[in-house]
Amino acid sequence: MSATPSHGRLDQRPSELIDRSSLVHFTFGGRRVAAHPGDTIASALYASGVRVYSRSFKYHRPRGLLCVAGHCPNCLMTVDGVPNVRACTEPARDGMVVGHQNAWPSLDHDALSVLDRFDRLMPVGFYYKALHKPRFTWRLAAPIISRLGGLGSVSADAGSEARYHHESRHADVVVVGGGPAGMAAALEAASAGVGVVLVDDQATLGGHLRGDPRHGAEIGALAEEVRANGGIDVLDDATAFGLYEGNLLGVHSGDTVLKLRARQVVVATGAYQTPMTFDRNDLPGVMLGTGAQRLTRLYAVRPGSRAVVVTSGDGGYRDAEELLEAGVEVAAVADSRAMTASAQSAADALLARGVEVLSGHVPARGEGRKRVDGIVVARLADGKPSTEERRFDCDLVAMSGGLHPAASLLYQAGAMSRYDDSLGEIVPGDLPDGVRAAGAVIGASDPNTALEQGRAAGHEAASEIAGAARLRSREQPARQSASATERRGPLAVAGSRSKEFVCFCEDVTAKDVAQAVDEGFEDVQTLKRYTTVTMGPCQGKMCLSPFAALAAARTGQDPERMGLTTSRPPVRPVTLGVLAGPSHMPVKHTPIHRKHVELGAKMADLGPWRRAHSYGLPQEEARAVRERVGIIDVSSLGKLDVRGADAPALLDRVYTHRFSDLRVGRVRYGVLCKDDGTILDDGTVTRLADDRYFVTTTTGNLELIEQWFKWWTAGAGACAYVTDVTSAYASINVAGPHARDTLAKLTDVDLSSKKFRYMCAALGDAAGVPTILLRIGFVGETGWELHFPSEYGEHVWDALMDAGDEFGVSPFGVEAQRILRLEKGHVIVNQDTDAVSNPLDSGLEWAVRFDKDDFIGRAGLVAARERGPRDRLVGFVMDNDVVPQDGVPVMSDDGPVGRVTSARLSPTLGKGFGLAWVPVELAEDGSPIGVRVEGKVARATVRTDPVYDPEGGRLRE
Amino acid sequence: MSFLLACPNCGERGVNEFRFGGEVSSRPEPDAPRAEWTAYTYLKRNVAGDQREWWYHSYGCRRWFFAVRDTVSNRVRSTAWPEESGA
Repeated sequence: MSATPSHGRLDQRPSELIDRSSLVHFTFGGRRVAAHPGDTIASALYASGVRVYSRSFKYHRPRGLLCVAGHCPNCLMTVDGVPNVRACTEPARDGMVVGHQNAWPSLDHDALSVLDRFDRLMPVGFYYKALHKPRFTWRLAAPIISRLGGLGSVSADAGSEARYHHESRHADVVVVGGGPAGMAAALEAASAGVGVVLVDDQATLGGHLRGDPRHGAEIGALAEEVRANGGIDVLDDATAFGLYEGNLLGVHSGDTVLKLRARQVVVATGAYQTPMTFDRNDLPGVMLGTGAQRLTRLYAVRPGSRAVVVTSGDGGYRDAEELLEAGVEVAAVADSRAMTASAQSAADALLARGVEVLSGHVPARGEGRKRVDGIVVARLADGKPSTEERRFDCDLVAMSGGLHPAASLLYQAGAMSRYDDSLGEIVPGDLPDGVRAAGAVIGASDPNTALEQGRAAGHEAASEIAGAARLRSREQPARQSASATERRGPLAVAGSRSKEFVCFCEDVTAKDVAQAVDEGFEDVQTLKRYTTVTMGPCQGKMCLSPFAALAAARTGQDPERMGLTTSRPPVRPVTLGVLAGPSHMPVKHTPIHRKHVELGAKMADLGPWRRAHSYGLPQEEARAVRERVGIIDVSSLGKLDVRGADAPALLDRVYTHRFSDLRVGRVRYGVLCKDDGTILDDGTVTRLADDRYFVTTTTGNLELIEQWFKWWTAGAGACAYVTDVTSAYASINVAGPHARDTLAKLTDVDLSSKKFRYMCAALGDAAGVPTILLRIGFVGETGWELHFPSEYGEHVWDALMDAGDEFGVSPFGVEAQRILRLEKGHVIVNQDTDAVSNPLDSGLEWAVRFDKDDFIGRAGLVAARERGPRDRLVGFVMDNDVVPQDGVPVMSDDGPVGRVTSARLSPTLGKGFGLAWVPVELAEDGSPIGVRVEGKVARATVRTDPVYDPEGGRLRE
Repeated sequence: MSFLLACPNCGERGVNEFRFGGEVSSRPEPDAPRAEWTAYTYLKRNVAGDQREWWYHSYGCRRWFFAVRDTVSNRVRSTAWPEESGA
């Protein structure tokens, strides 16, 4: 390998992107490769003589450059640890480490290329047919197949979400595609004064016409005009991979996904050149005509020394001319059509320069081992290749199978497709509102038509935005100019040899497709799924056109009826990391968070909140609450301020309980149901004034409940206002036999059991902070829930810790709280209940007031009451010394009959206990049940009373 | 889903700013027959075409409003406060 990149270079080209005055170096398979700035990895490698870029997916055949445009799978490499990078579009940078994929030990000598000889054993779908009997076969085979086949491998520590970004942006007009049509559209729209964003997946504008010998100068000038236009923002190297509802474009560029919302979209994505299908059409050195052009035009790399052009239309003649101009000898042009009027003069010119022109000839087979060294073409007779063959020595075969519209974005947006007989291609037809198209994507085959269509589309898009009256009207451009090409010739004939590749991504041959059709897969969608054609990294860019033509021919359907496979995003593969983007999971810290960290708490994620799980041993914390005093940060409780003259009526309506008769200064537990009677949430409701209530909700349900309350007042004209005050208040629960002694040191409020009774509330100062004091007892002890301005969270926490010091105060976390509430049989909504639980079956029937005329859920609960319960939520205690896990089944002799929702070790009993759903016949106190513990059934006994303080005396002390 | 919806208060926004509240239906009277309640609770019309719906602007003004949306194309024809459209 040469140390300098000049070896395979042409003389300076006007359109070249490389900077010949300096060099960068990267390593490829351990070897040092020189490149010029402006080179891609592939162009530098090609210049230094590399011809094999990858090994194919299934047969491990050597593959060379094909499209040189970032579309095909042939140059996928691992770059700096990132797999499946397209080397033909990835800029060469100093120091980058490039490695091959899917080959061992090297690209040139891949041990697995032996698979190529066994293709007969591996027809399409062979794994479905052969590897299912006996059943363990697949388990053995799957990992081997996935290792042998395939692309790059992902390094477990290569990715980090920190690298990726998401951006959002709005634009008047977004033009996708930087070719002539796209540039014309952008300029026209910008001239009307609307904001334009031009998205182009290449580094430089111009599309296929960059450096084109005939149009390059004109296109270059247009590109400069676009760059200079202040109304056009050009996004280079940016791929629009999806066009979603509401004209939302997903645009991928480097490590960023841009969500680009357009009022009008102009799709000018051009077309992909289609490969020809013939035996060994995948040999390195067989590439698209446009691929060879990109090497010469953009990187001044010599694609070969002697070429044969195979074509199905006029494009091949131009490709041949350009190769000649670049100094490549062209041995022959083989055109699969009979000589046409449109090609005659080009053919004559080529003949004059010593190029053989063979009309009515198709490529029959490529020859050579690891690179092409010759091609055999055959004369067509009655549409079939005859034995009249010609062989040409060559190291380059340029394929020009016609242009297949790059219309995925249009189809995604809902465009219909139609078959264009003159093009021999399916092209997009009716477009949805707000979406326009111009250029080769709708069949324009010459630059002037593309420019004209682009201008018209840009004008229409701008008019739509600016209001049509303000702009001059334009003539509608012709759909196609008069110089339309002749109908294209066949891309392939027969399909009898085994190495005629249709799909380069997944190694599917024409024979495979024919066989699949013969097996009955006659619909293009099922045929695709069975053969996997169009499902590889190229997503159909190389294969869809030949595949559709082949399928139509084999099934005898006309191409329009056969149709195309459905276009879905992404148009081009997008790395998962960039789709995932940076983490958007909001994490909420309570106003007392820092204290928990200082105390060394183990933290747990509960919904968006980080809460203290425990500070040490949860059982010890629970004991402290039972015997002394504990404090817990409950700031994450949802808190709503409900006010207004109609607030009592609103609460009566949404809760199953009644709140209009709740006296000021009292607290009542409430359950919210949906109209079907199932539980939505629960919490406490405190009446602070005639027209003011303080409502708490479950931590995770706050937003839902706020919406729920507002829903039932929306549009009703009621005087009831709901305000979320969750983050306005910090909340601490002080509980235990010494809770009163502790709190009394900090407040003047009379806490005596006579003056401040259970389920009462007061407004007062605590530690000098205005506080709502609620005497409630989720954990089953004398206690107060304090709600106070969140700015004082740490202050009140510290004050309580100091005041409780003499009583042995202990902070307790969520885990201890769960143990303590479970001993009281207090239900946690969504832990102990689910989407079909109603309050009657959940032991909360006391909170349902059927004597109210109406409340949300009444009808459902009336029906449930008449129906009677099937299961009930009950407490249970284990007979032996085991503690089940949450969620394990409750067992009868016949199998599972229920489930444990919560289970812990009871500090009071020293035994496992919990809550479980059991059938009503087992719901009686004392019923024996089985609970699965570590795979075995353990005996337990239903206990309907709480295991701790069943009379509730402790709460009222 | 990425269509746009015009909140009567905040203007046109992406649909991910909103919460869907289902088709607007009228809740039966408390003493309505069981069949009527069952239909209201469980039966959805699943209209293919224009449908009057509840939407809530969670990431904006946090208010409920009505939208008429074509469920086939996701084109939103109009939006209004419930009190304006005669809830």
